[in-house]
Amino acid sequence: MGILRDIFTALKGGVNEAGEAVVDANAVRILEQEIREADTAIVKAKQSLTTLKATEIKMKREIQSLERDLADYEAKAVQALNQGREDLATEVAERIAEIETDLSERVAEHSRLAEEVNAINDMIRKRAKTIQKNKRELEKVKTIKQLQKTTSSISSNFAATGSSEHRVSDALARVKAKQQNWRDNMQAGEWMDKQESDGSLDSKLKDAGIGDTGSSTASVLERLKAKQAGS
Amino acid sequence: MTLKLEDLLFQLNQATTDEGTTFDAVMTAEEGVLEVSCSNNEEFPIHIAQTDTQLLTITPLFHISEVSDGRVAELNALCLALSPAVPLSAVGLQGDTYILFGAMPLDSSVEHLLHELEVQAENTLEVLEIVEPLLA
Repeated sequence: MGILRDIFTALKGGVNEAGEAVVDANAVRILEQEIREADTAIVKAKQSLTTLKATEIKMKREIQSLERDLADYEAKAVQALNQGREDLATEVAERIAEIETDLSERVAEHSRLAEEVNAINDMIRKRAKTIQKNKRELEKVKTIKQLQKTTSSISSNFAATGSSEHRVSDALARVKAKQQNWRDNMQAGEWMDKQESDGSLDSKLKDAGIGDTGSSTASVLERLKAKQAGS
Repeated sequence: MTLKLEDLLFQLNQATTDEGTTFDAVMTAEEGVLEVSCSNNEEFPIHIAQTDTQLLTITPLFHISEVSDGRVAELNALCLALSPAVPLSAVGLQGDTYILFGAMPLDSSVEHLLHELEVQAENTLEVLEIVEPLLA
C-alpha cells in the first residue's frame, strides 16, 4: 500500500516529530533498500543475459551446421541408392539417425534457453517497475519533508511578527495600499508626460508667434490709453 | 535543463517579467529552501524547495490559530471549493499552516517558473481576500 497512508496515520497519531521519525526510520530505509536490491538484481540479470545470449548464438550455429550435414548426407544416401549401393546407403542412414537425435536435443535445449532469456527479461521489467514505484513513494516522502521544512521556517516567521490579530488583514491592506500607490505613481507619470509634451507644443507655437504671445509693455500701454480715451 | 537552487537564486534576483514583476530571493536558514518575495506581493513570500523530480512553490497563508473561533470547518469547505478555481496553485494544509502551493517538474524553464511565481503571488492575494472575513 501507499506510503502516504502510513505517514498520515503517524501524523494523525498526534506527535508530529514522532511521525516524521517513523517515516524516516523505517519506510524510507525499506524503500531505498528495495531500490538498491532491485538495481543489483538488474545488473546481475543483465550479466547472465549476456552469457545466455552468447550460448544461444553458439547453439544456433551448431543447429544450422547439423541441419546442413543432414541435408548433405540425405543427398549422399540417395546417390548411393541410385548406384545400387544399399550397404553404403544403410551406413549413411545410421549417420543420419545419429545427427537427427543430436539435432532434436540441441533444438530442445535451444528453446529452453529462449524461455530462460524471456524469464530474465520479465524479471528485469518487474524489478524496474519496483524501482519506479519506490522512487515515486520516496518522492512523496521527500515532498512532505520539504513541506515540513518550509513551514517550519514559516511558523517561526509568524511567531516573529507576533502572529497578532488582523495580521492577514493588515498585510493585505499594505499590499493594496502599495498597489494603489503604484497606480497613482503611474498616473502621475502619465500626467507629467502629457504636461511636458503639451508644454513643448505651446512653446513651439509661441516661438512661431501663434496663439498667446504674452503681454508686452507696448500692448499694456495701448490698452491703458484706450481705457483713458473711453472714460 | 535542471534548475539548481543556487543558480535559481541568482537568476531570480535579476529577472523582470513582462508584467514588470521583480523578485527578491534569499536562501533561508532551512537548507535547500529559497524564500522569494515578488514585487506584486511583498507581504506573502513564496518558499521554493526541491525534491528529486519537482520544484515546490509554497506560500504560507495563515496559521490555524488565526481563524475566527468556531469557523475552521467553514473555512476548510471554502478552501476546498476555492482550490480548483485558482490557476496553477492549490490551497492546502501543512501541519497547522494553510498554504498555497504549486509544483513544477525540475526541468522547467526559468521563464515558466517566473510565471508560476508571479501568478502564485497574485493568487495569494485573491485567496486571502476571499477568506479574510473568516480570519480573526
